[in-house]
Amino acid sequence: MTFKKLTVLPTATEILLPAGSPLTEVEYETPQRLIPFGCRSGSCGACVIEVLEGFGSLGEPDDDELDFLEDLGRTGGNHRLACQCRLRGDATVRVADDI
Amino acid sequence: MPNRVHNVGYGDRTPFLNAAASAKLRAEIDRQLDQQVVEWYANVPEAAHLEGRNVDSEYYKRNLIETAWRIRMLRVSEAKALVEIAKRSPQAAQVWANYEQEEMLHDELFIADLEKVGVSREQFLATEPYLSTKLLTGYFSYLLDHEGPLGVVAYSYLVEYVNVKLEPRKLEALKGSVGESNIGGQINHSHTDINDDHPGEVWAAVRHLLRDQDDVAAFKRYLREHQTILVQYFQELHLDTIAKAEQPV
Repeated sequence: MTFKKLTVLPTATEILLPAGSPLTEVEYETPQRLIPFGCRSGSCGACVIEVLEGFGSLGEPDDDELDFLEDLGRTGGNHRLACQCRLRGDATVRVADDI
Repeated sequence: MPNRVHNVGYGDRTPFLNAAASAKLRAEIDRQLDQQVVEWYANVPEAAHLEGRNVDSEYYKRNLIETAWRIRMLRVSEAKALVEIAKRSPQAAQVWANYEQEEMLHDELFIADLEKVGVSREQFLATEPYLSTKLLTGYFSYLLDHEGPLGVVAYSYLVEYVNVKLEPRKLEALKGSVGESNIGGQINHSHTDINDDHPGEVWAAVRHLLRDQDDVAAFKRYLREHQTILVQYFQELHLDTIAKAEQPV
């Protein structure tokens, strides 16, 4: 089993997850609420993250996610909905509300 | 002082298995299923019939009919399972609801393929399902009433795992024996299972339903019991089609 590292800012908490795990797993790895997940289906926008490193490690966003991020005004190109991501390589992210 | 509300899935939200333990158990379960597949081919009469070059027409049609009936009847049980799952784990219920949404109308895909080989919708509707098909539905009801939703979800994991692993080989063979233009519904069904990673979806629900080692042991047992009932179905199918045709008049 291969593990990948997710670093969540601003606490710089490092979490190791099996490669391919959904980022929603973060919620069960630590009692801290590092990412504020809501619907977990890409429709509420509670879990917007800014990807500081390893954008390609989180999989490709689909058109629905890109459209919604645009609706949310996150058009910089380095944002994702955490609930739609899978950790395929190391990445560093920051919850958008903390930017 | 706690209130009187139960069965709403709150409390400790930390799953029994963390991500790594879940992946490890899934690999163990998949090894069990690989062994079950070996036993399947060894013990079920004509287990590889649909993977061969010469497909018995009655066997093929009846299998499609029973598959459509199985989907129609089990979607009722699986909808009831959603209620029980939601009582225990809203996380699992969300996954299960999405899975059911994707599978709910797949009976139509098989009915479409039936029409391609000359079995009308009316003929399908007039066909009484096999007893083994009804008993599978009955087992689901027993599980929901007396053991909980894990056994129902276990059935889907078994079916999805085996489908993704074996269905492409079967469909490739059917392209030659039945004709690619006649099996479009089955190909579409398989696309959903593979492209939407249905084994992964169902496992995500399983993981949130497992609460202790007793549940893990029960899950392994459910996989074997479901296979036992499916063996009964394929025995009934064989007796009613290929074996019947081979009997002297």
